[in-house]
Amino acid sequence: MSVKKLDGKVPAGHVKEKWDNHRFNMKLVNPANKRKFSVIVVGTGLAGSSAAATLAELGYKVDVFCIQDSPRRAHSIAAQGGVNAAKNYPGDGDSIWRLFYDTVKGGDYRAREANVYRLAQVSNNIIDQCVGQGVPFAREYGGTLSNRSFGGAQVSRTFYARGQTGQQLLLGAYSALMKENGAGKVNIHTRQEMVELVTVEGKARGIITRNIITGEFQKWAADAVLLCTGGYGNVYFLSTNAMTSNGSAAWKAYKKGAMFGNPCFTQIHPTCIPVHGEGQSKLTLMSESLRNDGRVWVPKKVGDTRKPSEIPNEERDYYLERRYPSFGNLVPRDVASRNAKMMVDEKRGVGETGIAVYLDFRDAIQRDGEDVIRAKYGNLFDMYERITDDNPYEVPMRIYPAVHYTMGGIWVDYNLMTTVPGLFALGEANFSDHGANRLGASALMQGLADGYFVIPYTLGNYFVTEKLMTDKVKVDHPEFDKALKHAQDHFKKLQNVNGKKSVDSFHRDLGNLMWENVGMGRNEAGLKKAITEIAALRKEFWKDVKVTGTDVGINVELEKANRVADFLELGELMARDALERRESCGGHFREESQTEENEAKRDDENFCHAACWEYTGPDSTPIRNIEELNFEYVALTQRSYK
Amino acid sequence: MSAKKININLKIWRQVNKEAPGSMVDYRLEGVSTDSSFLEMIDQLNEQLIAKNDEPVAFDHDCREGICGMCSMMINGNAHGPEKATTTCQLHMRKFKDEDTIVVEPWRAKAFPVLKDLMVDRTAFDKIQSAGGFVSINTGNAQDANAILIGQETAELAMDAAQCIGCGACVASCKNASAMLFVGAKISQFALLPQGKVEAKDRAIKMVSKMDELGFGNCTNEAECEASCPKEISISNIARMNREYLKSAVTGRNH
Amino acid sequence: MSRFYHYLNSSIMKKQIMGVTGLLLCGFLVSHLIGNCLIYFGDRAFNTYAHTLVTNPLIYVAEAILLGIFLTHIFMAMKLTLENKAARPVAYAVKKPTGRGSTIASSTMPYTGLLILVFLIFHILHFKFGPVYKITYDGVEMRDLYRLLIEYFHQPLAVVWYVFCMLALGLHVSHGFWSAFQSIGFNHPKYNACLKNLSKVYALLITIGFSALPIYCYLQGGR
Repeated sequence: MSVKKLDGKVPAGHVKEKWDNHRFNMKLVNPANKRKFSVIVVGTGLAGSSAAATLAELGYKVDVFCIQDSPRRAHSIAAQGGVNAAKNYPGDGDSIWRLFYDTVKGGDYRAREANVYRLAQVSNNIIDQCVGQGVPFAREYGGTLSNRSFGGAQVSRTFYARGQTGQQLLLGAYSALMKENGAGKVNIHTRQEMVELVTVEGKARGIITRNIITGEFQKWAADAVLLCTGGYGNVYFLSTNAMTSNGSAAWKAYKKGAMFGNPCFTQIHPTCIPVHGEGQSKLTLMSESLRNDGRVWVPKKVGDTRKPSEIPNEERDYYLERRYPSFGNLVPRDVASRNAKMMVDEKRGVGETGIAVYLDFRDAIQRDGEDVIRAKYGNLFDMYERITDDNPYEVPMRIYPAVHYTMGGIWVDYNLMTTVPGLFALGEANFSDHGANRLGASALMQGLADGYFVIPYTLGNYFVTEKLMTDKVKVDHPEFDKALKHAQDHFKKLQNVNGKKSVDSFHRDLGNLMWENVGMGRNEAGLKKAITEIAALRKEFWKDVKVTGTDVGINVELEKANRVADFLELGELMARDALERRESCGGHFREESQTEENEAKRDDENFCHAACWEYTGPDSTPIRNIEELNFEYVALTQRSYK
Repeated sequence: MSAKKININLKIWRQVNKEAPGSMVDYRLEGVSTDSSFLEMIDQLNEQLIAKNDEPVAFDHDCREGICGMCSMMINGNAHGPEKATTTCQLHMRKFKDEDTIVVEPWRAKAFPVLKDLMVDRTAFDKIQSAGGFVSINTGNAQDANAILIGQETAELAMDAAQCIGCGACVASCKNASAMLFVGAKISQFALLPQGKVEAKDRAIKMVSKMDELGFGNCTNEAECEASCPKEISISNIARMNREYLKSAVTGRNH
Repeated sequence: MSRFYHYLNSSIMKKQIMGVTGLLLCGFLVSHLIGNCLIYFGDRAFNTYAHTLVTNPLIYVAEAILLGIFLTHIFMAMKLTLENKAARPVAYAVKKPTGRGSTIASSTMPYTGLLILVFLIFHILHFKFGPVYKITYDGVEMRDLYRLLIEYFHQPLAVVWYVFCMLALGLHVSHGFWSAFQSIGFNHPKYNACLKNLSKVYALLITIGFSALPIYCYLQGGR
């Protein structure tokens, strides 16, 4: 077994012309023939809904699947801040090139340049399309679109709809999807979970689903399968992801030959509401716009239990302002998160648990008045108070980092195709265009770019080049029965363990292991420990998990057990990937690889590549293949926010 | 502030499936942290049930931050509980007292059949949306975003309506199980914006017809929907829908 | 035709029909109240007014229209109420108003409406089809409705029943008046408060106006 070098299939030419050239060179499906091709779309977030709607508009026969009761519930809906585009409406020096440059740099040079450039290119079309759909973006008095600067960007390129941009964009894509559904061109299958990928002669040809309502398994055939299933942040148990967000569809694909790219790249968001206790089920994000006016601090003294108001200024450590004088509280997400952890590790954390830092608006309120602050952040302050019962106008907020987004995911080439022909991955599900760290307001951009403006072109090319018009597979093919049986056996096995510990308790244990060892700071010893302990936990899971209920009808425990079983494998792969990547980059911080000032230190000589993990069997170590990353247009430099 | 532990008594609707009859079942839950959300309290109950080899309570939930619209519980006779502008997942146990009895039921409406315990089927909302809740613009058809000028006030009004999370609390709290707030909000969002005006007549007729067909009740202007709406969507949107419908019925040519 | 029926049978048109007929009935109430107030000017003014009204041949057209409006309002109310009940076949074990939406007036519309219907039937039986006394003014013989009223409201129970029903009517229109505007689509932040207040003033006027009549008659002491 040798290490492969994957080809990203980046088209030739200058980065500015690659996508245009590629679009011209790709083969087209005759309009009359489009209805002869069928596509399965798994997931209905921004990527899935936009892809399904657009493909149906083009004339393809589309079947779309989601686990919630409606496509509109996908977790893209929870994105708050906004969506970036290089419109340069404010005329403040933005351009496609600058958005491209910022994204490559922000991702700490671990993304594919050509993809990022294409993303920046189509970003403007996204805004046009969404406005056309009736997305109510914020407006200026003159009626033009309003922009704001987000996540420390030096230009105002973020479009937003109050603090609910993700919701509005998703509802826009959902409305397009429902339009096609009404026209009979998309079949929507809600409360159905993909439990197996079906490949025939190496090509993705369909999926097996489990109906959440009835417990029945079903076979679905198509000419291509699109995974738009989001990220796997819930491997940490506590994250800002939704409760049903999971990595299972991606994991089943991985086991069928789709390589997993950079699994260890996770984003930890610095401003979340801290954990309140052991009953905590998920974490809530507070928009990072709060850092524009809030000052982050902890007491200077270790173990200081005084109320924040009783701690005088000279005994407070505004550590971000101290350590990063030019960026201060606005340092990128990964830097802010790591510093908060450092304070807590120094036992200077605040609150009852000691696992939090203060985000204080006292000075901003004194400077601008409470009304100004209320106008800017009123709804966020209300949300904070509802959850914590603290009034942030009077006492500083307590915040702590939480897992938020996974940059890693299924590896795809320039056409968004995985290493399994016919299987595509879009949005957060792929090892996206964000490299090792995603910039604020870029996730929405990527999901919609993939769905609206990339896959509609590249999918047609796949159909024609693979001559799928005449080469059809139906669900009566033996491979479908094999996959169906495999899935059924897996679920039966879960039910037959008959152990004593609940599914959630395993998930919680896994989450703790991951957070402690594969979280904000990672080192060799911790990662090695994580690999062995996750394996042990997995063994225990298969011996002692208790799944109540039957296989008929709704069984939430069984659903969860399937997902946690996959997380128990995926977590190990993440640790393995983190162990092998002996450099720090973006959200991946290896304690062994830092500068004298405790900043992330990249090793471009040895790690300027994407790790592409290949499954080799249930009890065998996966192979780490690579895709070389070449930076022709954005010079490799060390990030500095001092 | 500082968390306390409370004990509560629960009366929860249990129903095996769509066809089976259901009933209220009593549970006792001790040591609930007042910092827990209502759903975390149900999680705790479920852990207790699993430990006793009972089947946990099935309920819909997903984002747990008040935006996905999945959670849906009738708590002590109020949709999403007693707090204003709050989804079930954002309701916290500090709003309850030690030894309180809490009655939890699913949304009840002919158009929202119960699937199991507290889970209901809300695909009716998707069907209404499919009937006309969109602007017929295909990907790639759009002109430059700033070519359409929309006054700030109009954009804000449209956003007020567009905030709907589709949870169905309006239907659940309405004594007539009417879906007018949901439909009114969608029709309003598009009727307000120039992009949606082109199809406004068709949309109003089609969405209302679908709503009626699905068995929702009629509006009697009591505004319980607005009062229960986690996003505080105004019944002025229902008035706008009434206006739009009347206009379409009187002047529409195509239907 | 079927399209027309489809519109008429839509949830929105049905409540618009409720609203419009309700508003027309509100108008009728005002004219009825003004006419009745002639009672304060003595038997002659009142009886002559009534006589002029019933001897005008157009009265049959007017009565037919009024009856049509009433029947439409009542029929629609029943249809809507039944449909609304059917929309929730399984009731909640516990259901409480939020305290931020519905009012006593709004939540009792079907009941106050039913009470008004019962009242109306008796009202017509008593006065339109009740005992016919005759009186002659200036050689013109006419019905002495004034006497009928004074006699009828001499019974304290009749006064109590009448006032009770007028309270119900007041409650009914206090929601109905505003609600009709909402149903036909009139809702504007600038005028909403004004309209809601107008609704209350109107309800108060109707209740006090119509309740004052039997009390006045009672105070006449049977003659």
